[in-house]
Amino acid sequence: MMLRLINLNIFVVIVFSIIILVCSNKIFAAEGGPCKDYGECDKFKYSLNDLESLQRGASTYINYCYGCHSLQYSRWGRVAKDLQIPEDIFFENLVFDKSIKSGDLMIGSMPEDSANWFGVVPPDLTLVSRYKGDDWIYTYLRAYYEDSSKQYGVNNLVYPGTAMPNVLLSLQGNQKLVCKDIPVIARNGGEKRDESGKTVTKEKCGFLEVEEGTGQLSKEEFDNLIYDLTNFLVYIGEPSKATRERIGWYVVFYFLIFTALSSLLYREYHKDYNK
Amino acid sequence: MSEMATKLFSWVNKRLPIVNTFERHMSKHPVPSKVNFWYLFGALAAVTLIIQIVSGIWLIMPYSNTEEEAFSSIEYIMRDVDYGWVIRYIHTTGASLFFAVVYLHMFRGLLYGSYQKPRELVWIFGCTIYLAMMAEGFLGYVLPYGQMSYWGAQVIISLFGAIPYIGESLELWVRGDYYISGITVSRFFALHVVALPLVLIALVFLHLVALHEVGAGNPEGVDIEEHLDEDGIPLDSVPFFPYKVLNALVAIGVFMTVFSIIMFFFPEGGGYFIEMANFEKANPLVTPDHIAPVWYYAPFYTMLRAVPDPLGGLIVMASAVAIFFIVPWLDRSKVASIRYKGIFSKIALTLFGVSFLTLGYLGTVGVTEIRKLVSVICTIIYFAYFLLMPIYTKYEKTKEVPERL
Repeated sequence: MMLRLINLNIFVVIVFSIIILVCSNKIFAAEGGPCKDYGECDKFKYSLNDLESLQRGASTYINYCYGCHSLQYSRWGRVAKDLQIPEDIFFENLVFDKSIKSGDLMIGSMPEDSANWFGVVPPDLTLVSRYKGDDWIYTYLRAYYEDSSKQYGVNNLVYPGTAMPNVLLSLQGNQKLVCKDIPVIARNGGEKRDESGKTVTKEKCGFLEVEEGTGQLSKEEFDNLIYDLTNFLVYIGEPSKATRERIGWYVVFYFLIFTALSSLLYREYHKDYNK
Repeated sequence: MSEMATKLFSWVNKRLPIVNTFERHMSKHPVPSKVNFWYLFGALAAVTLIIQIVSGIWLIMPYSNTEEEAFSSIEYIMRDVDYGWVIRYIHTTGASLFFAVVYLHMFRGLLYGSYQKPRELVWIFGCTIYLAMMAEGFLGYVLPYGQMSYWGAQVIISLFGAIPYIGESLELWVRGDYYISGITVSRFFALHVVALPLVLIALVFLHLVALHEVGAGNPEGVDIEEHLDEDGIPLDSVPFFPYKVLNALVAIGVFMTVFSIIMFFFPEGGGYFIEMANFEKANPLVTPDHIAPVWYYAPFYTMLRAVPDPLGGLIVMASAVAIFFIVPWLDRSKVASIRYKGIFSKIALTLFGVSFLTLGYLGTVGVTEIRKLVSVICTIIYFAYFLLMPIYTKYEKTKEVPERL
């Protein structure tokens, strides 16, 4: 019995290894990543329990994004409640149209013909974090660069030819694509040096760099702003996410206990016929 | 029990065979005393079916089956309905796990020859259940009316168009419109929530009745009916209730733990259980970057793509499912279990498993030249497993099956 299983297992392993060896790098070859020219997307780790971050994100969204991008599946009052912003303060500071009520959907304020302005209707962003992913949003919003050939003078590494202007330009400053001299890596993995001991460098292009003094925020502050904004979009994509991950532990715990008890009961009965 | 209740029970029992049925199918139903974990997936499939029916009923209440509101009603469930997200994630996670469990259940059948005489009908009802599940899953996937719902339906319905002569009219008849629209959604809704569940329940009933008539198999392929005690009860058996019910209960505990880990922490299943593109509302004007089926259809989708001609692809795909039905007559082996079959059966089943998994992976990624080649090879292996079965099972050297379990 054991021997047969081992034989079969060896066989399985051999078949798998052959298949993987022969064609792995071709079969599993990565397709173009979602962040396009930027390369690998920057990693984003949401923190839905950081209410301050979510509040800052909501404020940034409503001030800079909501003018064009609705959140049509979400309701005003729900956001205030979930983010623990007192409704009077919320409506005073973040809801500009005074006819809006707490239970209203955040349907935006773009007129029907907005397609004429940008070439496309600015999409609703309620679910953007779910169909694009948080990594993508976080990278995209930080990957604008100056490109005078475009309608709004900017382009984006993550979404080349994007129709959206860089709304946050005044905060971020003027970001450009620059070339840098970077050390050449030698075969042994270290930096390559010439005979006199100097590091050999090579010019490489495609780096994003903000022109100093052009933005209101430092790079770090801007990254934080985008972090909060992305965090807010993760929240709005699935408002029950934090609750889900919280009560999930209890449910899993319950079923572990259930499994333990039922297996004790099973063992007890098992004794009947396994003497 | 008070006298009153006893009297009432006896009154009912004289008119409805409660005790008889319970004894026949539960407390006196003999099942093999030694089986392994592979024999637990049937019970898990039944549990999942119940989960799907119950969560489905609650989803119907707030869901709207119109073109305008289908997508937003799902978001309404996710946001505005109290614990609506729980119900929806139960249903989406349940759908994927239903297929996972059923695939393992079917593999068990191939592994231990569960389809062999006298269990041919059990197997055929099972295959029909699988077929109905595939239709049920597809119809349900269209209902949220996201991008993948739309374009997935577009691809699948257009398959009907590949049938000669009647293809185009059939396509139109299925869709109910010249393109996928609210009409398609509402008829798929009716089929998904009424027609196919009725068919599924009826088939599961038949599957179980047939199973209880011939008795459950075991991993040794031993016929337990050969050795009976003086009361005519198989020596190597235990009553289904309580022993196997308790065994199933442990399995259910483990299964539900996995279920809740997925539904509470990874409900999208990395894009395999709920595809990312399906969070975008259906848009007939924009085709998604690549149209991938949900994982449980992926092996068959790869076969469809492996054949350049649409009709040929359709035939290959349909045959890949249909061929399961005739397995009881393809297997000519004297023994049932893989434990006693020869080396060729083992190699064939392993290759089949590997090629099925590879086909599944390939169905979820884009096409390249090498992938196309691999999918053709795997499709050939898949069919070779079945078509060569009469030969390798008949002529290979098998081992002696023991008398008792």
